[in-house]
Amino acid sequence: MSRVFILGDDVDTDAIAPGGYLHLPLEEQKKHCLESVVKDFAGSVKDGDIIVAGENFGSGSSREQAPLLLKDLGIKAVFAKSFSRLFYRNAINVGLFPGTIKGACDFRNMEEVHFQMEANRIISQNSELDIAPPQGIALEILEAAGMIDYARKLITRD
Amino acid sequence: METGFTSAEKFFSRISGHEARSGDFVWGEPDMAYMHDVLGPLTLDTMKKINEDNVRFRGRVVVVNDHIYPPKDTTSSNNIRYMSDFARKEGWDLVPFGEGIEHTLLIEKGMIKEGMVVVGTDSHTVTAGAARAMGIGLGSTDMAALLSLGKTWFRVPETTLLNVTGNRKKYVTGKDLILKVMSILGTNGANYRSMEFNIARECNLNTDDDLSIANMTVEAGAKTSIIFNRSKTTDFRNLQSDEDSAVTEIKIDISEIDPLIAFPYSPGNIAKASDYAGTHVDQVYIGNCSNGTISDLREAAEMMDGRKVKDGVKAIIVPATRNIYREAIKEGLIDTFIDAGATVSPPTCGACAGLHMGVLAKGEVCITNINRNFRGRMGDPESKVYISNSYVAAASAINGKITVPGA
Repeated sequence: MSRVFILGDDVDTDAIAPGGYLHLPLEEQKKHCLESVVKDFAGSVKDGDIIVAGENFGSGSSREQAPLLLKDLGIKAVFAKSFSRLFYRNAINVGLFPGTIKGACDFRNMEEVHFQMEANRIISQNSELDIAPPQGIALEILEAAGMIDYARKLITRD
Repeated sequence: METGFTSAEKFFSRISGHEARSGDFVWGEPDMAYMHDVLGPLTLDTMKKINEDNVRFRGRVVVVNDHIYPPKDTTSSNNIRYMSDFARKEGWDLVPFGEGIEHTLLIEKGMIKEGMVVVGTDSHTVTAGAARAMGIGLGSTDMAALLSLGKTWFRVPETTLLNVTGNRKKYVTGKDLILKVMSILGTNGANYRSMEFNIARECNLNTDDDLSIANMTVEAGAKTSIIFNRSKTTDFRNLQSDEDSAVTEIKIDISEIDPLIAFPYSPGNIAKASDYAGTHVDQVYIGNCSNGTISDLREAAEMMDGRKVKDGVKAIIVPATRNIYREAIKEGLIDTFIDAGATVSPPTCGACAGLHMGVLAKGEVCITNINRNFRGRMGDPESKVYISNSYVAAASAINGKITVPGA
């Protein structure tokens, strides 16, 4: 089971990984992840939690620290009605699953849900939500646990 | 049925070596890759994990230390040291310290040229569209994989074609055009897409306007951009979308546009600047990769000439490159700023990204010609940022409140 953080539209990468801390080590950056959106996010997030957001999740900067911090803090997967291109690609590269929501989300904030990856579905006690996983090369990279291992495999194969 | 090629399809066909159509996944080798001191270090760390000793990328690699330059603390100084030492070891192009902000500078230096495909570890790599190149932002790991593998994958973007005509009003610039586009497309109306501009000669927009326009296309979600501005040349047939290609067209009459403003906390929140006239400001920040050009400095100086910045307002001017700075000195613009009581900064990404040199305090309000006004972008999450053209920002510095010249 996962707890779900419900977020709105246009959650940008400055909110996820604030610019003022970007030059610092990841451990330091983590403390400020989503701090302007969710009170004490870094302190309250638990391993296995998920995020369900609205349109255009991860807009703005190309900073890969955004999906990296979420993953390092224990976020297992991020679901949104739509993603900004750079966040989507970066999430796949660092091995954080980005699922696109199909239909309306009825989950309550911090409700316990279960992400059934094989069925492309998230279920709670009262509701369920279909999702679309990444396709093509993106899915291959995700299945290799991220771009580092995928690239290493390509190099070995050549 | 045969159809012509979009601009993006032409560019991606060349770098992939195959006919590339919108929506296709292709592997390709860009002509140039560049990175900076904030998102570059993670690229180098990742390269070490993939295959440090074997850089297969054959294109030009450029390192620009611009984000926290001059370094503000030992951490940022160490980052610059790390980038520079690595670049020297690999024989990459290390741009001399302090020359300027990468997106403006690499075009000014002629390193980004017409027809090229360039990638950078920065979302504003789309600015290359101003040089009729295609710039695409990549994350740090993607950049590391490209350098290690010699190639990267792209999904060929669909194209939104913006046809711009009309005579602009005085005090309306390229910034207002792109803000107008933001009002039409919102923050994701061009997500994953290429934004191609076809700007009529009568619009009287210059190459600095092109930079400002290309730069903010990413705020509408664009993957890349390309600007065909007919004030200079008219034949771009090799590069632009064919007449029978599959594009989504938007028409804009620039004569209908007044100076615009993006209000907190999204570059998609667009209103007439005059709607916010009178709003108190604590800081005015002019100059970054989109609008630190000589044209911006001339516009700002026109507003500040012989006047004084309002008592209590921090006015910070950031020429985007050293050459722009030198030209501004020659033209007497720097004297105008100093006489007005403004602070002139060396070229740096600085406070635009909340890094240093003008970070906002809790509750402070800033008007600026930068590209983003997300919550906390320039400092404290409780600060507020308004985006406008350089005329409006500079006039607001004089009055201490949002002011639209000519209104």
